[in-house]
Amino acid sequence: MKRVLWACWVGLLGLGPLQAQNMELLYDFTEIPQALLLNPGARTDFNWYAGVPVLSGLSLQAGSSGITVHDIFADDGLDINDKVRERAVDGLSIRDEFTASVRMEVLSGGFRGKYHPENFYSFGIYMDANFISYWPGDLAQLAWYGNANQLGRRFNLGHLKTRGELFQVFHFGVSRQVSRRLTLGGRAKLFSGIAHVNSARNSGFFVTNTGQNNLLAHTLSAQMQFQSSGLEALRQAADGDPGELPATFLGRAFLGGDLGLGFDAGFTYELTDQWVVTGSLLDVGFMLHSTDPKTFTLDGRATVEGVEIILPEALADPNRDFWQDLVDEVEALVPFEDNNKTYLSFRPTKLYGSVRYNFGEPVSNRPGEPCDCDITPGSTAAALSYRNALGAQVFAINRPRGPQAALTGFYMRMVGRWLAMKATYTADKYSLTNLGLGLQFRAGPVQLYLMGNNLLGYRNIADSHTASFQFGLNILSSGSN
Amino acid sequence: MKRALCTALVPVLACLLLVSCSEKQDFGQYDDLAVIPTVEASLLYIEAPERIINQVSGLNFVQQTFNFDAFAEAFVSERLVDGSVRYRVENTTSKPLELTVEFLDEAGNTLDAETFTIGPAPTAVLVREIAYGPGGRSIDIIRNTSSIRVSAENLGDNSSVSTLPNPMITLQSSAQFRIRLK
Repeated sequence: MKRVLWACWVGLLGLGPLQAQNMELLYDFTEIPQALLLNPGARTDFNWYAGVPVLSGLSLQAGSSGITVHDIFADDGLDINDKVRERAVDGLSIRDEFTASVRMEVLSGGFRGKYHPENFYSFGIYMDANFISYWPGDLAQLAWYGNANQLGRRFNLGHLKTRGELFQVFHFGVSRQVSRRLTLGGRAKLFSGIAHVNSARNSGFFVTNTGQNNLLAHTLSAQMQFQSSGLEALRQAADGDPGELPATFLGRAFLGGDLGLGFDAGFTYELTDQWVVTGSLLDVGFMLHSTDPKTFTLDGRATVEGVEIILPEALADPNRDFWQDLVDEVEALVPFEDNNKTYLSFRPTKLYGSVRYNFGEPVSNRPGEPCDCDITPGSTAAALSYRNALGAQVFAINRPRGPQAALTGFYMRMVGRWLAMKATYTADKYSLTNLGLGLQFRAGPVQLYLMGNNLLGYRNIADSHTASFQFGLNILSSGSN
Repeated sequence: MKRALCTALVPVLACLLLVSCSEKQDFGQYDDLAVIPTVEASLLYIEAPERIINQVSGLNFVQQTFNFDAFAEAFVSERLVDGSVRYRVENTTSKPLELTVEFLDEAGNTLDAETFTIGPAPTAVLVREIAYGPGGRSIDIIRNTSSIRVSAENLGDNSSVSTLPNPMITLQSSAQFRIRLK
């Protein structure tokens, strides 16, 4: 078990933060069909595509913003307790976070409308798992140092913020070139939740002060909530007959668990033949958690000064259990309760935007032919046909502690139809040295793409705050074949 | 051009794969990690006004045994490292008094006892700190404490009244312990 925990710890700290859901390399990389998942209004020239099941889109991302595996486990002869105290307990702030996400496409495909070639339809199923936990500042200090000799210090319970979910998404989207310069798109999503945990709306404090009667008075003022769904059945399946676990898991994944709805929207607008702006809003939606939902709450305020025996009241009942009375009093003032009520959660909405300048010699659709710059619906867009593109992207996501943003500069290069590459530099609050590279290879109808970010971090992966890897394999037909 | 780009990219990717490495890490250090917070809490407060002491005939005006499971909780007892219990006794009555605090195990046997004899007012406040663990009394006393018995004796008369306002005897106490979480 310890090994598993450490594997998770290493995975969280060693691989890579906010980046957890920012797919800056894939965004606006319109040679790859999966770019439609990040902007349903992306302008593409595919006739059709089919992702190789399970292999069409695999994305692994993880990160920690304030600390790395190397910070703690480097074989440097320092005492691990000193490293943990200085670099984690005292070194991290409540805005530091640990994140991880995995996305795997189960099925994907798309086709251009036969009678309306200006429409491109795409659909598919993907599984998504993501987790975020902020450093629980005061709670970590309370656990490390305790409350002794800290009279008057309020340990903020609101520092506990964590969220995790595992779900499958069924989606269908349409990208429509509504004019020579404008492409709009939308995607409907049906969420099928497998498991969900959330504890983000916490507040209150724990404080020790000088007592009125006794030496010390301890006050707990808590408004805390922890919600989960889907865990109980999975646990029972695992505890009972492990063979039932896959069936339970798959049942949940295929609309047998929590259900939710959402949508994406996006656009591409060509300001000129060479200047292009894009934008998208993703995961506007909600999920209703009704599969063995659990909500635990701790809500109230109590101040205690230990067991108090005050005469003459204490003589009234010689059999009185003072300790139990104290416990009962605290439990009445700060009740810990749970219920099985269905609850609602909102998807973490994401926003992408970009501006791109295309330049260089246009890439011909067929060898020896000039670029078709007279754009008609369904034809290869001129803006996509330049060999080079330079631009900037912005990404923002709604997090438990408010929106977070990242800024990316990129350069794209196309070498005919068989190779396209995108290099990125991303700056966010976690890293100012995040360089990424994405490559798309085509061999006839077969397309392979590979992407990775924070390449400098690969020099010492254990000391990297962020990294991601994406891979995919598609069969496709586009304007050129 | 294609050939040139390809020639350039393949080595770049190969290099990236080759140079991706990690400095030596020692995950065995986890075993050395010690998370030992020092927690502090009020323990027991006793208050007996002089008028009540005068009303009770006999020496003992308080004899109370009460359940005290805080130390016996498995989470605490198994993780206790060391600590101390601090007492503060103040007597503003007109008579000498004696307070005894006993820690009892589950069978009712006395594991430890602390007696405070304090003269009549005006007298100094009595403060005492008892250490448990290395260098002090056995930490097992705390680990095995299941209940606490408090007894108080009037070593004086049952008629005198202090001239101080609201005369009483009070015992305040708190415990400070280190608990090994990891």
